[in-house]
Amino acid sequence: MTVPVTVRVSVFALAVMGVYTWYANSIPQLESKPPEELSLEGGSVTPEQLVQAGEKIFGEKGQCATCHGIGRAGRGPDLAGVGGRAGTRKPGTSAKAYLVESLLTPSAFVVQGFPDIMPRIDRAPIGLNRSELWATVAYLESLGGAVDVKLEDIPTTAGAQVGGPAAALQLPGDPKAGQVVFTGKGGCFACHKAGAIAGTPLGPDLSNLAGSQTIEYIMGKVLNPASKGVVSGYPPGVMPPTFGKALTAQEYVDLLAFLMTLKGGAAAPPAAPPK
Amino acid sequence: MRPRRARARVRLLPIFLVLAGLCLAAIPALAQEQKEVAYRAFPYVGSRLAVWVIAQIHLNFAAFILGVPIFAVIIEFMGWRTGTDREEGRRYDWLAHEFVKLTFAAFSTTALLGGLLLFLLITLYPKFWTYMSQIFAPTMWLYALLFILETFTVYLWYYGWDWLSGSRKWIHLSLGVLANLFGTAILVVSNSWVTFMVSPAGVDETGRFAGTLWQAINNFTWMPLNIHRLIANIVFGGTIAAAYAAFRFLGARSDAERAQFDWMGYVGNFVAISALMVLPFAGYWLGFEIYGFNQTMGITMMGGFMSWLWIVQAILIGVLFLGSNYYLWLGMERIPGSERYRPWIKYLLFVIAVGFMVWATPRTLIVSLEEVRRMGGTYHKMLGVFGVMSAKNTAVNLMILTTFLSYLLYRRANKESTRPWVRAGMAAQWAVLGLAAAIVVGLGVAGYHPKVEPIVRITRLSPLQVLAVLAAIVIVMAIDIPMFKGARSTGAIRWGGIAPRSQYVLILLAVSFTWLMGLMGFARSGIRQHWHIYGVMRDTSPDAVTPALGYAANVITVTTALFLGMVMFIFWLGGLGARHEEPHGVAPAGRALPMAGGADPGSGMP
Repeated sequence: MTVPVTVRVSVFALAVMGVYTWYANSIPQLESKPPEELSLEGGSVTPEQLVQAGEKIFGEKGQCATCHGIGRAGRGPDLAGVGGRAGTRKPGTSAKAYLVESLLTPSAFVVQGFPDIMPRIDRAPIGLNRSELWATVAYLESLGGAVDVKLEDIPTTAGAQVGGPAAALQLPGDPKAGQVVFTGKGGCFACHKAGAIAGTPLGPDLSNLAGSQTIEYIMGKVLNPASKGVVSGYPPGVMPPTFGKALTAQEYVDLLAFLMTLKGGAAAPPAAPPK
Repeated sequence: MRPRRARARVRLLPIFLVLAGLCLAAIPALAQEQKEVAYRAFPYVGSRLAVWVIAQIHLNFAAFILGVPIFAVIIEFMGWRTGTDREEGRRYDWLAHEFVKLTFAAFSTTALLGGLLLFLLITLYPKFWTYMSQIFAPTMWLYALLFILETFTVYLWYYGWDWLSGSRKWIHLSLGVLANLFGTAILVVSNSWVTFMVSPAGVDETGRFAGTLWQAINNFTWMPLNIHRLIANIVFGGTIAAAYAAFRFLGARSDAERAQFDWMGYVGNFVAISALMVLPFAGYWLGFEIYGFNQTMGITMMGGFMSWLWIVQAILIGVLFLGSNYYLWLGMERIPGSERYRPWIKYLLFVIAVGFMVWATPRTLIVSLEEVRRMGGTYHKMLGVFGVMSAKNTAVNLMILTTFLSYLLYRRANKESTRPWVRAGMAAQWAVLGLAAAIVVGLGVAGYHPKVEPIVRITRLSPLQVLAVLAAIVIVMAIDIPMFKGARSTGAIRWGGIAPRSQYVLILLAVSFTWLMGLMGFARSGIRQHWHIYGVMRDTSPDAVTPALGYAANVITVTTALFLGMVMFIFWLGGLGARHEEPHGVAPAGRALPMAGGADPGSGMP
């Protein structure tokens, strides 16, 4: 019996494709997952936790390991011991200031023998936020140096994502009405302290929320808490994901306007008396 | 008559036009209505997979219908210059018409798939579509206009084949040239959209588009992709046309028909090999520009999670080189006089096989701690040497030189030069080839020197290797053409006498290249990772994960099988009308009739 040409050709073509498919399935399978947001604001983070978080960012979201080795050469300088020598790179510049500058304005000082190819890592496509920058600097300091970086050492303008810095966004809400939502319908004070508003320490202290986070982060955190990760030291899944439905649009923007007034230490503005 | 054969297909024209009109009319309405929605889910398979499959099949068809007319018009020109009153000229003319017939058959399907892709993008990714159309709207209108012009020009070119013959042949040829100009314009316009997604330009630090339309079009990767796709389309068109010829060869019922399609397959493969030889250089330029746009993206592409993709690519290109050469070597068996060159084949095979192995050598492997200890480091001492770009660039350049040498031997298989300076000419040719090989190897070795920085290797050494190979090809051909002009023949090619397994090689090349196109489509799209528009518009859909190679390979196989299945069906339809057509002046196997092309003395084919 003669096999028709169409069948012979089809079987042959499928066999060829099958071999390619088998091979591609037999080699290491690497996915590229979208990075998750890390939030460390307001939490009681130990230096060890900070370094641990920074090491994760170094290898994953920050993509630092693509060019930098630790104890081996790469496209960029070997970072073994960088925490110890960072303070000697630029006279008059401390280790943490040098490291912060290296991440935010990499072209300001390029190590001799290496090309000026490093991108600003708080900008897209890497786009680390302030918390993540803080953790990354802490990790780099830990490589041969002392970890002394504070969140305040990271400029508040750093980490603003695509769409502009937080200050550029003018919310149409009323902070005073927002405070009423915070202490009333929203019930936020049940878990969070916010400046002069005392709250139970079930959740992070929000007194410096606007000083440490972008508006995009805060908006996302209120509507979908899980999408923004969990603040280190606090249990996951506690913050309810129902504010998007429970609050009206006006209440939501009022609450955001109030949260954006929390810039560290200062007492929250007095709440307007309920009418 | 030829126009009658395809008249049935003209019925598709109104359907296509109506659908295209509906597509265009629907854009603003849909975009406006759904401007608040970022994503919609496609049932069962999801949005990404739906768009991926349709886009890839559309792209395959588009590459075919844009690639084939480029060489069809050249072949028609050769027939015209040879003289359509002569047998050889008529054969070229028949072949050009046969190629355009294939294009014509695939035209409507390309348009319909394009319309479907448009609908999917608008309905499944409305936010993304709105952003893109805000920037590129004028080019989208231009694209539609160009498509209409291209369609009618190809219609006129195809249907006017007999009408515009004789003294009006130049008008017909001009239509072919015009169709190609429109086709190339369509290519560069649509490339501006996909390259903007990879390397956006005119966007400020906050992600807002603040540039001009021209800035958005003329982004970092636009021109390299234009050149790369133009060349790749020719390779693709050549391989698919050759596979069609192989299919017809295997099903031929007479020697004459077999000879006809043997020749057609040879020409298709010749076109594909010629373009394939320069394709890696265009790819290198594209990669270079990706690094120029964003180092992180370039490093992610070559050294990050996509690094294994290039090993798969190397295997596919290795198959293409081996297959193309093997086809030429098999083809020499039907050429009297080729026996002189057969002992060379084993050396050529050795170089290509070694080059293939070097190119497919990965730099890093997933290894256990124990294996790392045994190797004495994370790199195997052999892989560490052959897995780097210096070795790979050297290997691919030597493979290109060897393939050129294969073709050179095929070309002169039944020729004996009568020029008095033939010995000097041959010596000069060998000297040039030897020098080029030495330069390629020398620069490759220099790339390992610790004082040679990567930027020097990338911007100086590699381009010099490419230049050495290209210069050698040009110089050797410049000597070869006059040297074998008017050469004595040792016998005509026995067209149709080639071993049937050679036809499976042609099919292997078509399948491999189609699969390779799918893989490269995944690479181009995958390097954006979780961005619709890199660094500007983030993918926040459930499909934001860039899948691993295994999943991508499964999708590529499905799209390739669907594409090839559709092509077979369309070609079968096209063949229905040709059942009663007599083969065009062929030289059946065993008969000593000279046939245009290949190694025939005095033929117009290079």
